[in-house]
Order: sequence, then C-alpha cells, then structure tokens
Amino acid sequence: MKNILVTGVLASITFSGTAQREIEYIEYDLDNGIHVILHEEHATPIVAVSVMYHVGSKNENSNRTGFAHFFEHLLFEGSANIERGEYSELVEKNGGALNANTSQDRTYYYEILPSNQLELGLWLESERLLHANVDDVGIETQRKVVKEEKRQRVDNQPYATFISEMFMRMFKEHPYNWVPIGSMEHLDAAVEDDYVNFYRTFYVPANATLSIAGDINIAQTKAWIDKYFGSIPKGQAINMFRDFENLSATEFIGKYGIDPSMYDGNDFLNPKDKKAKSVLRKQSNTAIVIPRPEKTDERPNGVIKEIVYDNIQLPGLFMAYRFPHQTHEDMYALEMMNDVLSGGASSRINKSLVEKQQIAQFAFSFAYGLEDAGLGIFAAIAAKDKSLDEIQIAFDAQIELIKNELISQEEFEKIQNQYENSFISTNSTIAGIAESLANNHVYNGGAGKINTELKKYMSVTREDIQRVAKKYLTQDSRIILHYLPKEEDNLEE
Amino acid sequence: MRKYILTLGLLIPTLLFGQIDRSIRPKAAPAPTINIKDSKVFTMDNGITVILSENHKIPRVSFNLVMGSSPMLAREKAGLSGIAGSLIMSGTESRSKDKIDAEIGYIGARLSADDNSVYLSCLTKHMTKGLTVMSDVIHNANFPQSEVDRIITQNESSLLSTKSDPGAMASNAESAATFPKGHPYGEIMTSESLKNIDRTSIVDYFKKMFTPNGSYLVVVGDINLEETKTAVEKYFGQWKGGKVYKEEWGTGTRNKGNRVVFVKKVGAVQSVINVSFAMNIKPGHEDYLKLNVLNSILGAGGFASRLMQNLREDKAYTYGCYSRARVTNDGSWLSAGGNFRNEVTDSAITQILYEIDGIIEDYVTADELSLMKASMSGSFARSLERPTTVARFALNIIKNDLPKNYYQNYLKALDAITVDDILEVAQKYFTANKCNIVVVGNEEVLPSLLKFDADGEIELMDAFGNEIKETIPSDLTADEILAKYVAAITNDLPRKKLLKKLKKIKTMREVLELSMSQIPFPMKSTSVWISPNQQGEKMEGKGMVFNTSYFDGKTGGTSNMQTGSADLTEEEITVKLMTTGLIPEMNYATSGMKYEVVGIEKFNGTECYVIKMEDGMSEAYDYFDQSTFMKIGSLTIETKDGETQEVLKSYGDFVASEDILFPTTYTLSVGDVVFNGKLVSRELNVDVSLDGFK
Repeated sequence: MKNILVTGVLASITFSGTAQREIEYIEYDLDNGIHVILHEEHATPIVAVSVMYHVGSKNENSNRTGFAHFFEHLLFEGSANIERGEYSELVEKNGGALNANTSQDRTYYYEILPSNQLELGLWLESERLLHANVDDVGIETQRKVVKEEKRQRVDNQPYATFISEMFMRMFKEHPYNWVPIGSMEHLDAAVEDDYVNFYRTFYVPANATLSIAGDINIAQTKAWIDKYFGSIPKGQAINMFRDFENLSATEFIGKYGIDPSMYDGNDFLNPKDKKAKSVLRKQSNTAIVIPRPEKTDERPNGVIKEIVYDNIQLPGLFMAYRFPHQTHEDMYALEMMNDVLSGGASSRINKSLVEKQQIAQFAFSFAYGLEDAGLGIFAAIAAKDKSLDEIQIAFDAQIELIKNELISQEEFEKIQNQYENSFISTNSTIAGIAESLANNHVYNGGAGKINTELKKYMSVTREDIQRVAKKYLTQDSRIILHYLPKEEDNLEE
Repeated sequence: MRKYILTLGLLIPTLLFGQIDRSIRPKAAPAPTINIKDSKVFTMDNGITVILSENHKIPRVSFNLVMGSSPMLAREKAGLSGIAGSLIMSGTESRSKDKIDAEIGYIGARLSADDNSVYLSCLTKHMTKGLTVMSDVIHNANFPQSEVDRIITQNESSLLSTKSDPGAMASNAESAATFPKGHPYGEIMTSESLKNIDRTSIVDYFKKMFTPNGSYLVVVGDINLEETKTAVEKYFGQWKGGKVYKEEWGTGTRNKGNRVVFVKKVGAVQSVINVSFAMNIKPGHEDYLKLNVLNSILGAGGFASRLMQNLREDKAYTYGCYSRARVTNDGSWLSAGGNFRNEVTDSAITQILYEIDGIIEDYVTADELSLMKASMSGSFARSLERPTTVARFALNIIKNDLPKNYYQNYLKALDAITVDDILEVAQKYFTANKCNIVVVGNEEVLPSLLKFDADGEIELMDAFGNEIKETIPSDLTADEILAKYVAAITNDLPRKKLLKKLKKIKTMREVLELSMSQIPFPMKSTSVWISPNQQGEKMEGKGMVFNTSYFDGKTGGTSNMQTGSADLTEEEITVKLMTTGLIPEMNYATSGMKYEVVGIEKFNGTECYVIKMEDGMSEAYDYFDQSTFMKIGSLTIETKDGETQEVLKSYGDFVASEDILFPTTYTLSVGDVVFNGKLVSRELNVDVSLDGFK
C-alpha cells in the first residue's frame, strides 16, 4: 500500500536541476529526427543508455486501452536479429541491468551497462526501434504476464484502484480517462494488426529521444550513434523498411510499386537504382503524423462524491482537485504548497490528522502533474474506529487555512531548504541524469531545465502559494471517493 | 575528385551513411578497471567503530549509527522492537517530537530510526544542526507516555490493514513457519501482544539494545577524516552504555516433509506463494558467495533466472517469480515465489518445487553460470556508483570478519566458482521436499494444495502467522463423549461391573523409557498411583534423578535437580484433588474440574472430539478419536510468571491391563523438544509407596 502511494508521489514530482553542480551535456538531432542527449562523467565505469518514446496511455484509442504499457512488455521479445528471450539475456550476460516503464505520457526503456558495452546497448535499443518482433507468440505470452501484473499491482492491492477511479471521473473527454494498465478486455480483443499499427505509428525516430550518461567518449559515442541510429530510415521510410523485411515481394510491389530486390537490407538508405532512390526519398519525406490529444480544461462539474467498495479493513478517503498541466507556471507554487501540506514528518497534514487528532493511519497529498493536465490529490486511511467524515473535516480545515492565511516565514524557509536538498541530492546516479535530461527535453521545454528549475522554485513567494491555493483548491469542484470494506470482509470481523 | 572521395571513404568508412550489417553483434571494448576506494576506520573510546567513506561529488553527508546487538526475544510482547524503534524519535528531555520534526524539517534533512539504528542525512552545511538533534535523541530519548499511546493506537490500526495486505500476510506466515516460537524471527506482533507492550518495556529495550559498545557509525559523503573525528567525538564521544547484547539464536525449523500453510484472503484474485526453508549459514562463511550465485541462477538473477524464465517467460503464470536468500548472523533462509492467478496456483507450486529440486539434483549449465557471473560482476560495478556501497563493504568486513581484501578480490573469487561448487552448495544448504509452502489466497484454491503436503494436513494460519484450528461443532455433549471414552477403554463393560472392578484396583506402577534426539542416553520415567488420588512421579537417567513429585492425598511436594525442592501450594493441592481415580474422567462431574466440549478438530490427521478442562491453574485439551473414542492426545497450556508453556502429548498402541486399555507408546513435545516414550512395564495391584518420590 504505502509503496504504491509513495511511487505515485515520486512520479508526480520531477525534480530536475541542482544549485551546486551544473550537469553538462550536449544535444543534437539526427537527420531522421531522433533527438540525442549525451552526458559524460567518469566516476564509475558504467553507462546508462536510454530511449524515451513520446507515447503513453493518452495516445491510445478508447477501445484499445493498455497498448502503450503492453508495448513496453512486447518490446523485450526480440527483433529481426535478436531471438525471443535473448534481449535481456544479452544485457545480463554482459553485466548490465535493464528495465522500462510507462505512464500516461511516456514509455521509457533503459540499460545500465559496464562502459565497455556501450556499443551493445546502442545496438539493442536501435533494434528495438527499427524492427522489434511484434508477433503472436510474444503477444500471447505478454498478454498473460500483463494480466498478472494488473492483478498483482491493482486488483489484489488494497486501495490501489484509487488512481483509476479518480481519473475516470475527472476526465470524461480526455484520454486521461483511463490509466496505463488499461483494459484487459481491450488487450484480449486486439489482433496482431492493431499491435503492428501502434508500433508503426509511435515507434518511429521522430518520436524518440536517445539519452546517454556515464563513462563515455563523446566522439566515439557519436560515431556509434550514427552507425546504429543514423541508419534508421526517416519518416514513413522506416515502415517501408519494416515492410521490406516482412512483406512478400508481391505485397511489397503492390504497396510501393517497386521490387524489393532493388534494396539491400544492409544498406537500405543507399539503393543503386534511380527509381528505388526516388521511392525511398518520397517515403522519407512523408512525415508520420503522431496523434496527440490537446491539453484539457475539463474539471468536475460540482462536487462528485462516490463510494468504492474494496477488499480493505480500514476505510479510506481520496479527494482530487484539478491542477494545471505540469509545465504551467502555477505548478511551481502548487508543488511548494503541497510540501507545506504534506512534505515530511513536520508537514501540516501529518501533524494534524495523524499525530494530533489521530484520526488517520496515514495521510498525505501530492501534486500529480501530467503533460496535458494535473491533479491535486489528498488521501488518508482512517485510523481504527475513526470516520471518513472526521477526516473530511480535518482536510477541509487545512485547505481553508492555507487559502486564508499566508504561510509563516519559517515554514516558507523550511520548504525552500527542502527543495534545495532535493535538488542537490537528485542527479546522483548516471541513470537518474539520463532520465532527467530526456524528461526535461520532451516534457519540460528543454534538457537545460535540469540546471535551472531550482531557480524557478526559489522565486516562488509566500503570496504565490496562497494565490494558487485559492485558485486551485476549489471546494465547489472536486471529486471525493470513499473507500469502504466490502460486505463480506465486514462479516469476517 | 574521384580519388578524393575514395580516400575519404577509406579513412572514415562510417561516412557511407546507413550501411550496416545489423546481424553482427557489437563486441565489448577493453574492460574498464574497477577501483574500490578505501574506507577509513577508527575506534572511539566508548566502543563505537567509525567507518568513513569520503565522497565529495555532492555537498551532502550521512551518519548511520548501527548497533552491534543481537535481536531480542520479545515473547508475549512480540513486536516490541518495531514499536521501540518507531518511538526513538518521539522526544527527549529538551525536545518534544514536534520540535525534533520541525528542526529536522527546517534544514531539509532526514533523521530516522528503527529497532537497531539511527540515521541522519543532510546537506554538509546543515551538519551541525542535524548532528545536534541526532546526538540528543541517542543520549536522551525519553519515550513520552502520550507518544507511546499514540504509536500503540496507530499500530492497532496497522494490524487491521495487515488483514488486507496479502504480501504482509504471506511474510508473517513464512516467518512463523520457518522459525520456531523461541526465535526472534518467528515472533509476529498481534493485537494481543501489542496490548502487553508498555513504556517500561520500551525503555528497557532501548537501554539494552542501544549502547556504544560494539556499535558502528558509518559516515558517508562530503567530509574528511579530521572533520569526522572532531564531529563524532563532539556528538557521540560522551555516550555511555552497557555491554553489547549478544545471543545465539540457532537456525530455523527443519521440516520432515513439505508443509503447506494456507492463509485465507477473501476476494483474492491471485495467490501469493512463498516456498521457504531454513539454511545453516552465516554471512562471513566461505560458501556465502557461491550460495549467492546459486540463488541468482535459481531466481534472484533477474530475467535470466530459472524461476523467471520458467514461470513468467515460458508459462506466463505471473508478472514475476523470484527467490531470495536471507543470510544473517541470527538465522538464514531461502524464500522463492511470487503472485499467481488463482487457476495456476498449484501449477506454479509444482514448477517452483521442480526448479528447487532440479538445482539440487543436477549441475547448472556452464552457460548459466557464466551468464550469472557476468551479471553479478556488472551489478558489483554498478553498485560502486553509490558512495554508501563502499561504506557497506567496510562494515561487512568488520562485522563478518572477512579478509581485508575481500571486495578487492570479489571479482576474482566470483570468476573462480565452478559448476561443481554450485552443486555442492545446493546440496549442502538447500532442502528438497522439506519446504514450507505458504499460500495466501482465495479459499477456492485450497483443495488443489493438498497434494503438496507430506502429512496430508494443511495448516491454516491467520494474517499474523497464528495457527487456526478448524473446529466443527460437536454433535455430542462433554458427558456423552467421556462416557463413550470410558466404554471404549473398558470394552463396553456395564457401569456397575466396571465400578466393582475399579474398586479392586488399588495401585498402579508404570515405567516408561523416553528418548530424545538431543540427549544421547535414554531417560526413565516412573509413576505410581494409589487409590484414590495419591501419586508419585520420577524422572531419571544415567544414574541421576532429574526430578520427582508426589501427592499423598493431603500434601505433596516437588524436587528438581536444578531448582531444588518445594512443597505444593494450597492452590496446587486443590488442583491435585480434582484428579481422582484410575480413570479420572469418570469423576470430573464431582471432582470440581471445569470441562466442556470444544468441537471436532483434527489431531495428527485424525478427527477428534475435543474437551477443554480448566483446573484453575492451567487449561488442557483432550482429543478423543471420533470413531474409536480412544484418547489419542492432550495439550496442556500453563502460564507461569508471564511465560506460557505448552506440553503436547500423543498416545498410541493401546494394550489391556486388567481388561482396561492403556497406551504403550507416547510422544511428548515441549516447544522444540520432542521425547519419544515406550512403555517398559505397567503393573496393577503391586506393592507401591510414595517413599522414592519425596
């Protein structure tokens, strides 16, 4: 329980930048649109190789939810040159570690390798992008695995459905309506073609950011990147290459009007034949349109209050307000406001609800910032024999207080010190730096934010905090969920 | 021009942009060297060993003060250590909890404590403020009653949450199954034990466990040796305390066969499965690294591990299946499992057991071994990125008495491990078919688990690792059961005739031979009975009398080799008077014994009527076979000076003396100790006196 909630809290706040240590990096675009970010440091002989794809559950069709996350699983199944099951083995037997994760907005893959295996990491990630195995065997296996993941992380965990229950009520129009794990029925209903189309739309160079940090030589790294990623065709040409590998000659001719034998798989970008060149050029110049939803202003129409029954013993209260999207100027103040309420043992919510009134087993709030919209979430699990009404009153009292009174100077300095500590402590691993650089590039308006964000937080004033509290903690527009034990559990007591 | 292009192409072939044979896998560049920075170690006068690992990359520093004490047995206060740990920062003489939180919060630091350590992490510029609070907590923690009450109330709620957390339930059941009651790892907090925890016991715990003697202070980060010496002397140099608490707790429980433990979770859509067994190894042992490699191949080595490959990648039973070897100075065990959908619960257990058996029975492949070695080398190298790693290495060397260059030679030692080594440690530490199989899940999966249990009897536990006895309501009253029992042992003799017969039996002498694996010689137990209620008992072995006891109908006494002699108290005499006659059950109705039927429960696999008896000093349960009505077992629970002792007896091979059936084989268990008894002789109406028993 605690872990799930804490993970949620961490995911919602992207610290990026330090006051003391400037993170140096270089960045550039490849011709095919891949954005490259490189950070060199030699303290430990390891390197993090990562690719961030600008695709998450919000890019899914409403009748095919769970696809983005499903791809995160599927893309470990191998490629034209990597056998099924070999992907992770190649990393592990060369002393590396690998993993991936998916949110509403992004899908992120990474390897951490001994630095002499950098080329291997680049080859692996380029294979994943260019021509991963998207076939029935892999789909069937991973479908079952993902169902187990959902059972383990959501269905069998107390309170764990609260994020999906909240989002589905907050967003009726925007695809934040569903969460990354998605619908198992949708995954069951999908056929191989659905998966192939998702791959052809979102797993393309212009949608990828390659971020590398660690014990690297920049010149050598660039040369390898050219070799493995620079050779990936641009625009629709990547899908033409995929067709070249997968379609029969007749199908290929039918689709492109040229015989595939005019192309060489090892030198696809440089066909000798003139017509072949021109077909390829045309495909390269046809950009792939990546469907993205618009930012949304949806908000609850009034106070939406509902009961959710779960396999729990202690009732829980979950409450959400609409916050702006994560790069909105107000988010700095909102995050600091949240720290006044819920940052650590001395925070207001912990002191009042947990320690003084002792009505909550634990209680916290967090600012859940996403690319298109944000949420301010308040959550508390009731202490034994305490009611959710008592918790509601206590939360509301805290909310009124921060709206009506300026926070004290001392509290303000505390929050500033906490931000300073967080910023200095973050970016202490090369894997963290690679991810932070990519995140800042894709979602926060530039990789350089890694070094400048702290200044933005430090420029927030006490008045700003009160202003955003008033603006966003809207008592007449919020969602309140009561989690109550299912009846059968009650009877057991 | 043409020449120029050619030259360029030869010099930098990659400029022929896009040309690549992707089937060629990149080769590794020359291996980088791995440097492990040295830690500095020094000892303070009060017994603290300070370990410093300097790292100036980030202006931050941490202090981790770790006790050298063994874990403590909390008995009826199970959970004491955790409660005490969470209260260490609850206030000092000069700082309330609010003040501690505010001071630490203000500098953006982290100060935390648990049952054997206190940890501070802060920016270097705030070090003085942070250490001031940390030092105050260590010296002056005073556990205010109000905070004790609050934490206890909070834990009452947490205990409720445990009932909806399948992972916590599984880990409780695993601890209870893997470690016996007298081992700290086998202790689990319940609402009953929580009630027994008071401020005094918390203060005592803190005094006993937190002492500079034998403790370690691990300092990591942006600080040099001189600064460290000055700081630790200033903030911890004056700290005094008692001797370090050390105890040998022994290893965990060894099973005779696979043992299934089931914990019911209403509405579960997955089963949490933990397959575990105790291992006899400590952290500093030379086999430790080999065991780690073995465990990695089995299930701790990521995607390449056998459990992951088989249960996730091949069968898709689960999101993840792992094994974990916990090796500590106070008990070690292996645990393998994960979360599996209900329908495949038994199939998953079959595969986990198959993988455990397989790795004991046969060599791992050379490929597996080299993959895992490479993976572990890589993980070793990655771990060096964190400054705490280097400090942890130094702490392990000191705590576990490892060679000074252990970590310098780690990669070499890892590389030298062979498939023979792996098989050897597998056979030495792993136990096939003697596992605890803990399943937390939906009741619907229960029937499919029966086949895994060696004695065909699944143990049911609650969320806190307590055994649940399944009781079916009885169709007979207590008196009816006792009457049937008497009829059974007297071959249905009519009551009148029986009373007549019993009148004629004036004495009995029984001699048993008792053996026990921990004692190399047999023990002899002699007991006599003189109508109606005089008794004598004696236990002897190897020419020594261990203890005797007697009751002559009015007074009595006990004598014990270690604790000396004592007369029976008045209370004890009252109890003795409740047991009267050769078949005491015939006289319960008049002797003052309180008795009632509990229901029908299993005893060693047999359905039994259970009768509970209370004599004012102890409670006892007798088990009567549901079909034969023979008494096949009894459990006595006695609480003395706050300690509870359970004595479990079973009876078998009934043979008639004077037409009355008596058992001739016995087992007697007290905690972990089990005696096996065999009747040597039973004589009725012989000359006996209590003389030898006083």
